[in-house]
Amino acid sequence: MANPMASQAPQGDAKSLQDLREKSILAAEETIRKASSRPDLHLVQAIQALDDSDKFLNITATRAAEWYGLHFPELAQMVQDNVALCRLVLAAGKRDGFNAELLQGRGLTEKKIEAILTAKERSKGGELSDADLARVRSLSSLAVELSGEREKLNEYVESAMHRIAPNVCEVAGATIGARLMAKAGGLDRLATLPASTIQILGAEKALFRALRTGARPPKHGILFQHEAVHAAPKWQRGKIARTIANKVAIAARVDYYRGSEEASIKAGLDKRLESIREKYKEPPPRQPERRERPQQRRDRPRDRRQKYRRR
Amino acid sequence: MSRILREERHGRTFLLTPNLAKGQRVYNEELVVREGAEYRTWDPFRSKLAAAILKGLPDDMVREGDRVLYLGTSTGTTPSHVSDIVGDGGLVIGVEFAPRVAREFVEKVARQRKNVIPYIVDARDPSKYNVSRVDVVYCDIAQPDQTEIALANCAAMLEPGGRLLLVVKSRSIDVLKEPERVFREERAKLESAGFRVVAATDLGPFEKDHAMIYAKSGGRG
Ligand SMILES: C[S@@+](CC[C@H](N)C(=O)[O-])C[C@H]1O[C@@H](n2cnc3c(N)ncnc32)[C@H](O)[C@@H]1O
Repeated sequence: MANPMASQAPQGDAKSLQDLREKSILAAEETIRKASSRPDLHLVQAIQALDDSDKFLNITATRAAEWYGLHFPELAQMVQDNVALCRLVLAAGKRDGFNAELLQGRGLTEKKIEAILTAKERSKGGELSDADLARVRSLSSLAVELSGEREKLNEYVESAMHRIAPNVCEVAGATIGARLMAKAGGLDRLATLPASTIQILGAEKALFRALRTGARPPKHGILFQHEAVHAAPKWQRGKIARTIANKVAIAARVDYYRGSEEASIKAGLDKRLESIREKYKEPPPRQPERRERPQQRRDRPRDRRQKYRRR
Repeated sequence: MSRILREERHGRTFLLTPNLAKGQRVYNEELVVREGAEYRTWDPFRSKLAAAILKGLPDDMVREGDRVLYLGTSTGTTPSHVSDIVGDGGLVIGVEFAPRVAREFVEKVARQRKNVIPYIVDARDPSKYNVSRVDVVYCDIAQPDQTEIALANCAAMLEPGGRLLLVVKSRSIDVLKEPERVFREERAKLESAGFRVVAATDLGPFEKDHAMIYAKSGGRG
């Protein structure tokens, strides 16, 4: 067992040993300081800001589009995306401002452009005063700005998730992972939650309703947004959400305690999902709607029996 | 000679170690004076090494003057007692990769004890802390591949004839049967790496589903 470094070993030399110790302690304290700045709390704020700006953007852009619709109602039929419509309002101003040049280069087809220009000529909309236009315009500009901010927040969340919780990011996706983290109150809290709680994070209302009325408890909360859950047939969703929750629980612990990426978690998830899809290919014989109803006395013992059998 | 003191109280055995950091406590242990020296009570429910000794493993697995590589120090409960035992002439190289628990280890143990050197790094990479050969490798890192990690550390730093203390966890449903199997598997790995298992014990009732294996490396000794 030749060990090249052993020759540098400070054994026997008390002074160099203390020097080494002092250096190691300082390095360790530096590592601790870095780890304690809690970047996860910033990520939690960012995902909430992202969700806030989504709502805000939606409200603002809808209002601007509706207001401008008094003047040019036909436009909304041809431009469905309200933010895109706001951009047009900013560029064109009143209806008269629309022309071919202005409409070019905005991802609109020639046919649409023509339709807009035709509609402009025989619009049923009313007059728009300068004062009206000023307000609609600045509302539109707010919406466009919000959509830019939303984009930036989205990028921030993506990159922060990769950095702070690479395994949760891999298993749940950046935004869903971040939402789970926000609901839990930080990566540290998420790392201590049991999978059964993670599975229904964000479904607290449904859970309490279930407890009150005896209805079936929810099968998924935030995790319903996960592609693998909502794209799955109804009867598989609970099992899939459960599996993802299991892996998120493991991933959060690895991210929190270790901070390194572990490919095996995602691989394990994919394998489990594969086997669920295979095994539960066919819908169960019972009617899915019936299972949704509260107080299914006959259902419950049957479920429980199944659990025992599986062990 | 072992620096561990044994006392019988109310028909139970208590372990004590001489406090190397006078007047200071690391967790909720008691400080007591025996024959003019300060000792700390050693809680077997908090420390697997104490549990192993109470379950019959020898007192002298760690000795005065030993250099110990300690993998998985956590907050430093057991390492502090190991530091007491090896004394001023000994050395504890403490490795823990989780900064959040290592903080307490650094503050309460490494800062207070001249024979402890802390490293917040992964035990999979001994080159980061290979600063001395050691007489003992103590490994309690709760990883699925921890035996391999322990053996790699032994290969890098353990003296021929040195000792290995390995905590194994049996993540099992069947509490009675499983540990046996886990023992056997780990024992086989150690033996094929040239270790001789001196003793092993289950750590119940102090720690559920845990066992400690005490082995010596081949070579002289
Ligand atoms: C069961 S605890 C150790 C308790 C400690 N021996 C005691 O008795 O006071 C296991 C520790 O090992 C650490 N650990 C796990 N894997 C590790 C690795 N690869 N490198 C370093 N430390 C690790 C964990 O962060 C955890 O704090």
